[in-house]
Amino acid sequence: MTTIKLTNINKTFGKGLSKVHVLHDINFEANKGELILVLGPSGSGKSTFLTITGGLQTPTSGTVELNGKSLTSASKKDLEKLRLDKIGFVLQSYNLLPYLNVREQFQLVDRVKKQGNLDKKRFDDLIMTLGIEDLLHKYPSELSGGQNQRVAIARALYTDPEIILADEPTAALDSDRVAEVGKMLQELAKEKNKAIVVVTHDLRLQNYADRIYHIIDGKMTEDKATTETKEATEQK
Amino acid sequence: MFLAIKEIKHEKLRYGLIIGMIVLISYLIFVLTSLALGLANSNTDAIKSWNAQSIVLNKDSNISLGQSIITEDQAKNIKLSSKDAYIGQSSVVAKSKGVDQISATYLGIDKDQYLYKDLKLTSGHKATKAHEVVADEKFEQSGYKLGDKIKLNSLKDKYTIVGFTKNAKINVAPILYGRISDWQEIKGMGTTLAASAVVSQNQKTDFSDANLKNYPIQKFIDKLPGYSAQNSTFTFMIAFLMIISLIVIAVFLYILTIQKIPNYAVLRAQGIPAKVLIKTTIAQSVILVISGLVIGTILTILTAIGIPTSVPMSFNIPLLSLVAIGLVLTSILGSLVPIRTILKVDPVEVIGG
Repeated sequence: MTTIKLTNINKTFGKGLSKVHVLHDINFEANKGELILVLGPSGSGKSTFLTITGGLQTPTSGTVELNGKSLTSASKKDLEKLRLDKIGFVLQSYNLLPYLNVREQFQLVDRVKKQGNLDKKRFDDLIMTLGIEDLLHKYPSELSGGQNQRVAIARALYTDPEIILADEPTAALDSDRVAEVGKMLQELAKEKNKAIVVVTHDLRLQNYADRIYHIIDGKMTEDKATTETKEATEQK
Repeated sequence: MFLAIKEIKHEKLRYGLIIGMIVLISYLIFVLTSLALGLANSNTDAIKSWNAQSIVLNKDSNISLGQSIITEDQAKNIKLSSKDAYIGQSSVVAKSKGVDQISATYLGIDKDQYLYKDLKLTSGHKATKAHEVVADEKFEQSGYKLGDKIKLNSLKDKYTIVGFTKNAKINVAPILYGRISDWQEIKGMGTTLAASAVVSQNQKTDFSDANLKNYPIQKFIDKLPGYSAQNSTFTFMIAFLMIISLIVIAVFLYILTIQKIPNYAVLRAQGIPAKVLIKTTIAQSVILVISGLVIGTILTILTAIGIPTSVPMSFNIPLLSLVAIGLVLTSILGSLVPIRTILKVDPVEVIGG
């Protein structure tokens, strides 16, 4: 089932001579249980793609649908609620508040979103899966890059969202950690039945993706060869 | 509140310094206000203790007790009631062996009139005989004791301190209450002078003399030498201090909020509503200012306990409470300044380019 669908998305900034066309006719969809990689160099438009997908920006033209509901026509308040309820962000800066310990990062969510978060059993299961059960009393500054990233992923999953949008989640990690995060995202997509979209320029994540898109100069293309190879491997 | 408290607890040094700043500001305002009030009271303590509503002075005295004279002839035209009393005022320098000399005000009063009857003592007894005086507590604090013989100006006769009273100051000078006949002696004009003035608990004293005039007591207070100028100076000084302090606090709170914009952007990206962040900002400001005020108040109380009694300091709780409420309100205003910034936080900024 398609979780998020972008149709003919265009995004331009500025006017007249300073007008910049950042995204060109982007068509994209992500389904539950999939880990999708959007690969592109810096300045290719992948962050703009991510922010439009997450309802943080509106496209100049085109539509974004989450579970069939249009984000492009939603009010600011509705988008805020959607981001809280349905979309989980994992940001390059780990999106953790420096003055809350790991447990309190989740408590903050409970205070803002009273219902629909993971219950205790599923939460315990999640932190066990991510291997952060011993880090609950620690502050982000006391954690390594990999630990921070795992906590950020847990934080994003805690609201039980439909889709996880990750921005360069492995930017600060060494190869071992990249493998660890890649494998974990792959498992989460499958086990938790989430659509996970990762925008990155880190090619080390390719092996873990179900589908790969390339974005260059605002134009997106699907890497069909990778997708077919993956499907063939899975069928075997 | 959750975020506000957690952040303060985690960033102890940063918030400790801000609370420290608020402590110093509130302490400065409290102490200055109390000192100004103490000084103002030193001018009027005695007058307030008389519970007078009006005063009759010589019309050519420029509403100055020191310059006013009521002669015996004029006094015949005054019908004193039980709520009226003569006072004879003279500036004196009191001296005694082994203690510092003190510039004081001698006030002669009549033992049959209300001022004498209402005089409250902290020790000793009222002046019943010639050359006896009841002195303000300032004398006691300066080492004078009951029974001490004091010399006034260059007069031959010595006066005996037979009692002490408190809050007996006029124009900051401590008062020596004695008999009005002794005042006539100090003045050196014999019995031709009846008094300097008539104070009354009524709004008007009954008299029929064109050279005398009745004044409301507040007008008399306002005309005390230097009193209005001094009060205006302190009022303006404290008002400016308040305004500048409030701006400083508001600026600090604004800077604090601006520093947190990246964190707020992350929270907005995650769908945390702006109202949660605004409530957090306001709650944090109130917590910081109230903490600062509480410590500032404790420091002010300790100062009041430890400060020498010679320093006039008076605590007007309603006034200081108003100052404290003003600081809290301003902190809320200060935290409201960056609300537009919070509302305009662009979550896109936290997503890398």
